[in-house]
Amino acid sequence: MENNEQNWRAPIVAEGLVRHFGDVKAVDGVDLQVDHGEIFGFLGPNGAGKSTVIRMLTTLLKPTAGHARVAGYDVVTQANEVRRNIGVALQDAAIDPLMTGNELLRLQAVLYGLPVAQVQPRADELLERVGLTGAADRRVGTYSGGMRRRLDLALSLVHQPTVLFLDEPTTGLDPMSRITLWEEVRRLNKEGTTVLLTTQYLEEADQLADRVAIIDHGKIVKEGTPTALKAAVGAPTLLISVPAAEALTARDTLARFGEMRTTAEGTLGVGLEGGAGAVTDVVRALDEAGVRVQHLELNEPSLDDVFAESTGYRLEGATNTMSDAGGPAPSEPQRSKRGRGK
Amino acid sequence: MTAITSSALGADGGTVLRSSRGLALRGMRSIRRLPSAFVPALAMPVIQTIAFSGTFFAITKIPGFPTDRSVNWYLPLACCMGSGFAGVGLGFSTVRDIESGFFDRLRMAPSPRSSLVVGPLFTAWFRVVIVITTTVLVGFLWGARLTDGPIGLVTLYIAGFGIATISTGWGLGLAYVFGDMRAAALMQLTLFTFLFLTNAQAPLSVMTGWLHSVARINPFTNILRLARQGWLGEVTWENTWGGLVAIVVMSALTLTFAYRRLAKLSN
Amino acid sequence: MTTVVLTPAPSMRTRAVWLSQTIAMSKRSALAIVRQPALVVPSLIFPLFFAALGTSSFGQAVNLPNFPKVDNFLDFSIAGTIIQGVLFGSVLGGAALATDIEQGFFDRLLATPTSRISILVGRLMGAAMFGAFQAMIFILILLPFGISIKAGFLGAVVIVICGGLTGIAIGGFTAAMALKTGSSEAVQGSFPLLFIALFFSSAFFPRETMTGAYRVIANLNPISYLVEGIRGLVVDGFTAGNAAKAILVPIGIGVFSIALALRTLYSRLAAR
Repeated sequence: MENNEQNWRAPIVAEGLVRHFGDVKAVDGVDLQVDHGEIFGFLGPNGAGKSTVIRMLTTLLKPTAGHARVAGYDVVTQANEVRRNIGVALQDAAIDPLMTGNELLRLQAVLYGLPVAQVQPRADELLERVGLTGAADRRVGTYSGGMRRRLDLALSLVHQPTVLFLDEPTTGLDPMSRITLWEEVRRLNKEGTTVLLTTQYLEEADQLADRVAIIDHGKIVKEGTPTALKAAVGAPTLLISVPAAEALTARDTLARFGEMRTTAEGTLGVGLEGGAGAVTDVVRALDEAGVRVQHLELNEPSLDDVFAESTGYRLEGATNTMSDAGGPAPSEPQRSKRGRGK
Repeated sequence: MTAITSSALGADGGTVLRSSRGLALRGMRSIRRLPSAFVPALAMPVIQTIAFSGTFFAITKIPGFPTDRSVNWYLPLACCMGSGFAGVGLGFSTVRDIESGFFDRLRMAPSPRSSLVVGPLFTAWFRVVIVITTTVLVGFLWGARLTDGPIGLVTLYIAGFGIATISTGWGLGLAYVFGDMRAAALMQLTLFTFLFLTNAQAPLSVMTGWLHSVARINPFTNILRLARQGWLGEVTWENTWGGLVAIVVMSALTLTFAYRRLAKLSN
Repeated sequence: MTTVVLTPAPSMRTRAVWLSQTIAMSKRSALAIVRQPALVVPSLIFPLFFAALGTSSFGQAVNLPNFPKVDNFLDFSIAGTIIQGVLFGSVLGGAALATDIEQGFFDRLLATPTSRISILVGRLMGAAMFGAFQAMIFILILLPFGISIKAGFLGAVVIVICGGLTGIAIGGFTAAMALKTGSSEAVQGSFPLLFIALFFSSAFFPRETMTGAYRVIANLNPISYLVEGIRGLVVDGFTAGNAAKAILVPIGIGVFSIALALRTLYSRLAAR
């Protein structure tokens, strides 16, 4: 969006990426650059175009317009070179239920041209890394969801890629598995792997990404480090809930203290211009207006606020409350048809 | 474990042969592990041999019929149909891979694109061996007899491999075009129709009417002739070359179709 | 919802309700068949395709010894074509019932005041209508191709009725299978089995030309007799014997298959 000069030697560079499916503009002009050793997050709701961008960058889909280079190679004209250098774990763990974990890893090693002598040692190494050594000889169809994701990740690492693409890696996982996966991503990144991940979870983008791009309706609407983005929002959100009858009065009162913000059902939120110090003024004003405050909290700007400000709606249906370490409960992503839309 | 930053392991992405072998091994394993997908395909030619030769037992009495054993006439047909459906079966499993997402993973591997077609082809040939061998054994039990020695088996197997190659290309191509089970229905329908619009049920000399004209130009008629000759009379070059040409030409067509549609998947 | 005013005698009311329910179920069953284009190929086109193949391939077979006296092979094979079509059609009807069960629609039906039997009867009526329709269509389509029904128009009518009765007869079996397994895949799996059964009969070629164990099976196979009733009407003419065969054989099979379907229905309901 703002990068006029793309460094075409960066691990991932895209300029003007467009993808149409018939009349649908799934991706409508995306510019992006991910630098060596970065973790870059693509944040957006279902249907925003995240998966389509990934599919274009991983040679599964040809862009309708625009260019992209991954690991230094053009994704269209040098597709095979791109494939050699990237690892990909897509949204649905791409596995064959009839094969065992070990067999799948071996097949992957063969398809990536690993020397025969290295095939089994590499498989063993990866199985241990993702904690599946015990289940290695069981059919993948018997694995749990978390195990499948871990195997999927292992499959993407067989050839030690320099660039790793993860499409919604923790969707549908329980909090423990999610944290484990985050740790693994950080470890890979520390070892030098550049990571591009897409997610619909604010917490994930906040925790993992060095830089975040918010994507909505096929376009990047905002980009930057999580800290900078949140700071740009500026004012913290004062969130209150009041009886329905008094909502209108409450709204009028709050509006005197800053811009109203979109919040979840049953709550009212204002971007408090005066910062935390203005809270007492607000409470006094509400009291004078005869409003009964049932609940009040003050939230520093979050990525949800960044998102709401950029797109006009909230990413997660949950209220703008503190989330625990595991992150909010995952909402099931819509199943998209393979390769179409999203 | 350190990451290699300049070039990843396995830089050459494997050769066609190696990758195809890996994929074929997977295919063969699937046969063993999901027998319900394969057993009907194996039972069909066996039952067809018995059923056709029993029902149409008397047609050998039609003047000019090349053999006096109906099973000699129908066994090669059943083998050919079985081989055709062996290839189509690979189309089925490809549809399953596409629907499950595993096919994306195969596409993202740097192995040459052709291995995605050649691998399944190897699997299809493996299936052909099982199908024809089984059916022939049953056929022998049912009274079939080779008329020119073991060379009759060779021509039968060649025909089988040939038809399987044609149907694999066709099946894969359709799988890539539709990406779901509609492809499966279409594969079966077209194969069945093509194989029957031939001298499948009766020799050309005995046929009357429209089917005669259609069968004459249908290349599968040549392939059936190639398959049958060792069970009807002598194995001659005259009966062979037409079938070989048909196999080569139609294989080239369907495999190109598959290859092209595979490339178009990213459009 | 109207308020109850005067209610007729209970037995009359139940019968009227039962009838209207059955009619509604029949309508739905028939519509379901018509609305599925996937049904068209196996139940209408395939049999015609086979008939066309057979005529060209076995045209000369009519001169074989032991072959019944016919003007052409098509006259011989139309009976088998009709039975083949009805057979395939009822597999698909059974699969539709199984799909209803799979998707819970059947349970929804059971939760309504619809009487249990009218669900089954409705389904079978749909099969009957389709069977009769198939017989009629095949006759009409093949007329321009040279068939002649020796039994005349009356014979054709009897054949259409026979098609309907056969629809019920086979439909009972496939319904029983659907009710037993509740899986449309399982019902469709009977397709190849029925196909084989068709071969081990006189549907495609006369029993008299077969030999050995094969002939024995064909002699015992009820499908042979289903086919020969119709065949007699086409090839021989209208005789009491042929008409009786065409009507009584499917009725006989039907009695058995409906009983089976009822039993399976009740055991399914009891198991809930």
